[in-house]
Amino acid sequence: MERFIDLALSAVLLAGLYATMAYGLGIIYGVLRVVNLAHGGVIMMGAYMGWVLHRKLGVDPYLSIPIVVAASYLLGVAMYRVLVRHLPRGAAGGPASLLLLFGFWLVLRNGAYLLFTGDDQSITTAWSTSSVVVLGSQLSVSRLAVLAIGSVIPVGLHLFLHRTHLGRAIRAVAQNPDSCTLVGVDVERIYGITFGIGTALAGVAGLLSATLFAFNPGSGSSELLKSFVVVVLGGMGSVPGTGLAALILAVVEVFAILVLPSYLTSAVGFVMLVLVLVIRPGGLFGHRVLG
Amino acid sequence: MRSRIRGLAPTPILAGFLLTGAALAVLPLVLELSIYTHNLMTLTFLSVAGALAWNWMGGFLGQVSFGHAATFGVGGFVAARIVLWAPVPAPLAWLVGGLVAGVFALGAHPALRLRGPYFSIATIGLGEATRLLFTYWEDFTGGSSGLSLPIETALKHRLYWWGLGLVVLVTAASWLIRRSGLGLQLLAIKADVDAAADLGVSATFYQDLMIALSGAVVGVTGGMWASYFSFIEPNDMFGFDRSIGFVLMAVIGGVGTVLGPLLGAVVFVLLRQYLLASYPQLYLGVYGLLLIFIILFEPLGLTGLLRRLWQRLSALRGKV
Amino acid sequence: MPLLATRALTKTFGGLRAVDALDLHLEEGEILGVIGPNGAGKTTLFSLIAGSIPPTAGAVLLDGVSMLGRPAFKMVRAGVVRTHQIVKPFPNLSVVENVVVGALHAGGRATGSVRDRAVEVLAFVGLEDRTHAFPGTLTLAGRKRLELARALATAPRVLMLDEVIAGLNPAEAQALATLIRRIRDERQVSVIMIEHVMPAVMSLSDRVVVLDRGRKIAEGTPAEVVNDSVVVDAYLGENHEGGTA
Ligand SMILES: Nc1ncnc2c1ncn2[C@@H]1O[C@H](COP(=O)(O)OP(=O)(O)OP(=O)(O)O)[C@@H](O)[C@H]1O
Ligand SMILES: [Mg+2]
Repeated sequence: MERFIDLALSAVLLAGLYATMAYGLGIIYGVLRVVNLAHGGVIMMGAYMGWVLHRKLGVDPYLSIPIVVAASYLLGVAMYRVLVRHLPRGAAGGPASLLLLFGFWLVLRNGAYLLFTGDDQSITTAWSTSSVVVLGSQLSVSRLAVLAIGSVIPVGLHLFLHRTHLGRAIRAVAQNPDSCTLVGVDVERIYGITFGIGTALAGVAGLLSATLFAFNPGSGSSELLKSFVVVVLGGMGSVPGTGLAALILAVVEVFAILVLPSYLTSAVGFVMLVLVLVIRPGGLFGHRVLG
Repeated sequence: MRSRIRGLAPTPILAGFLLTGAALAVLPLVLELSIYTHNLMTLTFLSVAGALAWNWMGGFLGQVSFGHAATFGVGGFVAARIVLWAPVPAPLAWLVGGLVAGVFALGAHPALRLRGPYFSIATIGLGEATRLLFTYWEDFTGGSSGLSLPIETALKHRLYWWGLGLVVLVTAASWLIRRSGLGLQLLAIKADVDAAADLGVSATFYQDLMIALSGAVVGVTGGMWASYFSFIEPNDMFGFDRSIGFVLMAVIGGVGTVLGPLLGAVVFVLLRQYLLASYPQLYLGVYGLLLIFIILFEPLGLTGLLRRLWQRLSALRGKV
Repeated sequence: MPLLATRALTKTFGGLRAVDALDLHLEEGEILGVIGPNGAGKTTLFSLIAGSIPPTAGAVLLDGVSMLGRPAFKMVRAGVVRTHQIVKPFPNLSVVENVVVGALHAGGRATGSVRDRAVEVLAFVGLEDRTHAFPGTLTLAGRKRLELARALATAPRVLMLDEVIAGLNPAEAQALATLIRRIRDERQVSVIMIEHVMPAVMSLSDRVVVLDRGRKIAEGTPAEVVNDSVVVDAYLGENHEGGTA
């Protein structure tokens, strides 16, 4: 029973991280219909940004969130302007956008190798080793912090998309770019901003993940796949659906430890991905675009 | 059916192809190739065959797979296990490895009704799940410490001709597919599955057929790879980087063409050899930039460049 | 026995009954017109008959045999083929190659080489001088002829035409109408055609079925249908001018 509570709690804590990762991928797909295959690379960059700020400049990882957000946002806008904008739209753009962004991921990886070598790194602060007792379980403060941030972000995102002018414009473009052009919305600008927001979320997810797990320049593929599972499961960009899907993935992964050798638990996500795609391509909660 | 390569009759292509094959076959006999060159060419042949077979899915059907390493690994390990288990000739082991890999590839059947990015991402998942499973299955693959085969120098030397033979076979098959009704149906499925079905094309059947054939050929190259290196390790054989290699070779050369993956694989292997020797720290980035430039400026890769060059030349000749 | 029939054919999308318990039949050698306002369920009816989508209830019978559960590609092999309201050429194949894809699935109903048949069909629809062009270079009328040619190349027994005349200028429309009649007379193909262009459908059809909200509201010869007050109310009254313009 104690073990059960332990596992359940760690699943909840993990879900916050997964949700943050997935929103980044989901919002870009929801608005631009582009799967950002460089998503894992941006997550990895976010981790390194936080690491550099902490290691070289002594900035606490939680305080560096705004810096990472700003830097990743700019990276995303640049990715859109320089790369994604020039892709053919529609069906033909599918494989091309994948390959293009995949190429960019390789460049990011290579950049990280050059700057930081291939060694495993992690962000360890005073927080990392301290813990509090919840329901009889020891919980590390950094995990709780990740959950807290991971819960604030979706709420903020939801409010942004529904309450602000810009957010409404983004949702409108997601629904129907053509009629937005007609009523004078600058669709290209919205696309750029959305790509920026998506990569900013990925960057933060990388930073948060770096406070929990080790990373290296090759990291990112399992983050990409997990984000994709969550996005598909959650119904393509629906904010509450994504949150719930993140929880489902985390629970399944964490509890797989009970029945599978630990080495294979990471395969659970991959298998789930394929099952979800094949059985419920519209997501568990129905297909919605930026609900 | 008429060739789609306009301006060139099939006969000169066929003649050129056969001449090149024959020249490569006698090359080591007439020239003193260094062992390094001989072996590099062998590896190039294996890569070319794999890239051409990947292209049957990624190019002809438009189903871009990021998981072909799964069949490469299955073919390799099955062949290796057969060689270790019974004194059968290596080519038979490769063949069986290929067949098993082809059947294994059919495991992706449910994912085949996904299209575009969905299919591609599903193949990443399938490929990685396969890698983890086989790494875990130590009794079969030796786990992360891998599997050693008896070293056979003579076989490694002969692999040059086996590899070349496979390339000739797979190139011919690609060309025949491309020129036949089969190829047209694959391209129709790629363009619009529903419209193809409304003209009588069974997308399910052809996708299953092509993924099995493609997986089988890649599986055979996996078996040859095992014989070549006498040591294989699941994290390498099933690795994501290997899956990416197939994609890169085809994209660099020109997805969906016959010549493309062939050229692309040659360039890929040589470039890799050069980069690993001289600039190992830039290896990934160069491929990344190459991908970006190709997608943005010449989606048909080297083949597209060659076609443009050919058109320029024809235009010039026309003026004179 | 009719060549093709539907029995209580029904398709619902969520709460919407796009096709509602429809009984239809098509006789050998007939041209059947299907008319109805936008959203009446005409295209959905074709998709059901062609096997592109499965029905919610009911059945499609060919020669009295139920075709239930047959996907589109098997219906083509059985001799039932449809064209698309929004034409769907394969842009990566040349005109003749587009037609070859259809010609490969004529089953035992055609003789001669695939390529010869494709070329013959292209000549029949008047696209012989565009054989090696790519569909993107054709005019709308050309693309509609290509759509027709691909379907004809499957040597169908039943040809379903979804608004092939709509959007063409009067001369092109006239030419295509002539072509449709020749398909029936010279190639012995039975035709179901959806059309908003009233003069065309009225002059070509042996019989007309009127759909509204998924249901058959009238059926008869063109003359009978035009004078049916229900039809005039539901459709012709408001749309007649729009259709002929
Ligand atoms: N895949 C679908 N999902 C949900 N609703 C659909 C779908 N296809 C068609 N419908 C709806 O079913 C109804 C019938 O559509 P259908 O296309 O068959 O009409 P139609 O008679 O062909 O109209 P038109 O003359 O405009 O071509 C419409 O209300 C349409 O919105
Ligand atoms: Mg319609």
